[in-house]
Amino acid sequence: MLNVLLIESDLHNTLLENSLKDTDYQCLKIEYSPAILALIKDVTPDVLIFNLDTPSKKLLADLKTLNDQSPLPVIMFANDTTTDTINQVIKADISAFIVDGLQGNRINTIINVAIARFKHQQALKHALEEACVKLEDRKQIDRAKAILIKTQNFTEDEAYHTLRKLAMDRNITLGEMAKNVVAMSELFK
Amino acid sequence: MKTFIKVTEVWIPDKERTQLEFGSGLYGGLTDFKVDSEQQKFSYNEGLPGKAWAAGHPIVLAKFEHSYFKRIAAAKNAGLTCGIAIPIFSGDFLMAVVVFLCGDDEDHAGAIEVWCNNPVLDKSLAVMDGYYGTLQYFEAVSRQISVPKGQGLAGLAWESGMPVLIDDISKADTFIRAGDAQQAGITMGIGIPVADNPGQPYIMTFLSAKATPIAKRIQIWIPDREGKQLICQQGYSKSSNELAKIFETMTVTKGIGALGRVWLTGMPVITGNQESDYSPELDSLSSMLAIPVIEKGRLKAIVSFLF
Repeated sequence: MLNVLLIESDLHNTLLENSLKDTDYQCLKIEYSPAILALIKDVTPDVLIFNLDTPSKKLLADLKTLNDQSPLPVIMFANDTTTDTINQVIKADISAFIVDGLQGNRINTIINVAIARFKHQQALKHALEEACVKLEDRKQIDRAKAILIKTQNFTEDEAYHTLRKLAMDRNITLGEMAKNVVAMSELFK
Repeated sequence: MKTFIKVTEVWIPDKERTQLEFGSGLYGGLTDFKVDSEQQKFSYNEGLPGKAWAAGHPIVLAKFEHSYFKRIAAAKNAGLTCGIAIPIFSGDFLMAVVVFLCGDDEDHAGAIEVWCNNPVLDKSLAVMDGYYGTLQYFEAVSRQISVPKGQGLAGLAWESGMPVLIDDISKADTFIRAGDAQQAGITMGIGIPVADNPGQPYIMTFLSAKATPIAKRIQIWIPDREGKQLICQQGYSKSSNELAKIFETMTVTKGIGALGRVWLTGMPVITGNQESDYSPELDSLSSMLAIPVIEKGRLKAIVSFLF
């Protein structure tokens, strides 16, 4: 059973809470407070749902922090249709942003779509991070090879094989070894 | 890795050459002390760098409290208790002062010594001053002996006028205190002639223990026969470093790179940064101090300490 943390701007509004309970979600409802990040850390929900009139800048900044530190599927119901808010919501990596669309009977589908989208976003994010690391490694390796070619009169092949041997001897990656070569050359620069 | 030297600084003459100002430094995590130091200036005979300038030879200040040291409070907060200042002269003129600062924490073994003599009366060198960390017995022995020219680490450096590096020093026949060094856990030593004054020798010796090494690697660079390039004569670290060895096969042209700048200007340099994010877990080398050895205004060698 999924654990949902429901954050309402109006605690008297029970539509979402009832729909969640009817759909067999474990639901904890709270009122929005500026200390929301600490609360999320304590509760460790599987999904976050906000039902607000409009998300504040502080909330969006908090959600961005949350996304950087321990990302979660986040669904936001709101009435704010301004482009600026939509742009900020997208930047905060919110999985689903629903404007004027609060219908209890759709909640299960919305949650499932949000979770699927969240997983897809996370996969893309990890792939991007890996690609960035590989690209950075490639840059460092090219720099290290250039240093070895220049200082040792190596051919490109010799530079690569020297780098690889050094990495193997130290049991580290080629990228890490390349960083060492670059750093060492900086000392003598 | 704990190191014997906590802080390394280079103080250089200002534009008028009447005061010493901050050149560069390695402070590890001692950020407050660094900030305090960067603001400092020292006149001739003022503070540790100024005293070394006026004395014309290296000096050791074993305790900062109630001394002429100017940064006593900041040093106390940073756990620094003693300092060694080495003036680098070309003839009569000061190029820079290198300062090493050490702490008094436990397991703080090693030695930095200044050897000299009375050139009229003595034919051998004795310890003028030194800092030994926790090696009290080794200090007592060292302060009692004298070494003739050509013997011991200091005597060899005196005779050759060149830096002399002895690894596995506790087993070296040429090192007079080998047995005591072994007891003290000292594994390597380097002797460096430091005063550009042939009539009065001053030799610095750095003795490094395994647990708290003076530096991760020490190199001696010398001009080649034609005097056109510097080559690495010797490199030493307690564990093998293939990467450093590769860089020690390169030659250095005057004015090019850090060592080339030392050769061109006669000024010591510090490169790299201990605070950088560069993989310390690989026991790699992240900063360097390079000191010129100058005799009669000419560069005889460069000693580089890699940290």
